[in-house]
Amino acid sequence: MNKLTYIGIGIFALLLVFFVPKYINGNATAPGDSNLSSDIEKIEVYHFHGNHQCYSCKTVGSYAEETVNTYFADELDSGKIVFGHINGELSENIGLVKKYGATGSSLWIGVYYRDGGFAKEENVNVWYKIDNKEDYMNYLKGVIESKLSGA
Amino acid sequence: MSLMSFMEVMSTSSFPLIAAFFIGLMTALSPCPLATNITAIAYISKKIGDGKKTLWAGIAYTLGRMLTYVLLASLIVYIGVNVQAISLFLQKYGERILGPLLIFIGLIMLNIIKLPSLKSGDRITKLKEKLSEKGYLGAFLLGVIFALAFCPFSAVLFFGMLIPLALKFSDGILVPSIFALATGLPVIIFAFILTFSVSKLGKVMNKVQTFEKYIRYAIAITFLIVGVYYTWRIWI
Repeated sequence: MNKLTYIGIGIFALLLVFFVPKYINGNATAPGDSNLSSDIEKIEVYHFHGNHQCYSCKTVGSYAEETVNTYFADELDSGKIVFGHINGELSENIGLVKKYGATGSSLWIGVYYRDGGFAKEENVNVWYKIDNKEDYMNYLKGVIESKLSGA
Repeated sequence: MSLMSFMEVMSTSSFPLIAAFFIGLMTALSPCPLATNITAIAYISKKIGDGKKTLWAGIAYTLGRMLTYVLLASLIVYIGVNVQAISLFLQKYGERILGPLLIFIGLIMLNIIKLPSLKSGDRITKLKEKLSEKGYLGAFLLGVIFALAFCPFSAVLFFGMLIPLALKFSDGILVPSIFALATGLPVIIFAFILTFSVSKLGKVMNKVQTFEKYIRYAIAITFLIVGVYYTWRIWI
């Protein structure tokens, strides 16, 4: 091994020593964006995207829409659940993009509480399920159901 | 357990370096980085006659990607640059610039566009020439630029999964470095295979070297094809 390799290994070891304690403490950090109220007023399921959509991005959105339409038709009719494909590049959607903090193509679930609280969460797990529609829909159904129950 | 389920479990591992590595692997296999990695493999293969140089060029390319990802993550984690703004900016302009840039590099390699030659004299210029001649500087810069080309899916992986991880652990260096290593892994593996096959097939490779001009044309055409693909996707 040459000098450069040793320097590289040395830097990596130093970084490990510095960061590993942070990894251990970081695990204990509780998520800050939560609301304890279980009184749900409304849930928004938004698929954010840009003008150019990749195959996976379209799939994430269309499966989410199908999930909501299939399993939550009553909630959609009553307005308890709102679903939307949001093009983040359109000026009329800038407010929503900022509110959710979407960084690109993504699926977000926003929960409005009767006490005026609001909690948002990006779901990244759906990206791993696009090769199995049934798995995707069952998973997202479970997530939305747990939000509806105030969990 | 399916491959995607495995990737999901590993990418959401409670140990951030394992998660970062698997998010990086997912990125390496997503369309845009796959295309840029193929271009990089073509580029580093230009020194196909010298296996060791090929391997180091592959490592230089990965280090280039590392620099970009570490800089982006550090800007967000340590300086507090708005992740949304930086993500949307790069997705809007990164891909738009990449296509024409690849076409430009391809045309330079084909000698259709000629760059003015630098005056050699000072030490920095000499060092630059030395690195360029070995292909390391080119490979490094290619890594820096290619890492900036975010497509929708690679942006999800970097800004939606990796950056939250880096923020959670206040680590803008090691997490993105491991991620970068995984995104460049296909190129390093290919360079490694080349290194060993070249040393075993030395005589054959000596003959290959006589076709270096044609290899350069093939690389230039790869750049043009990938460049046209990006330009067509975004602009047309």
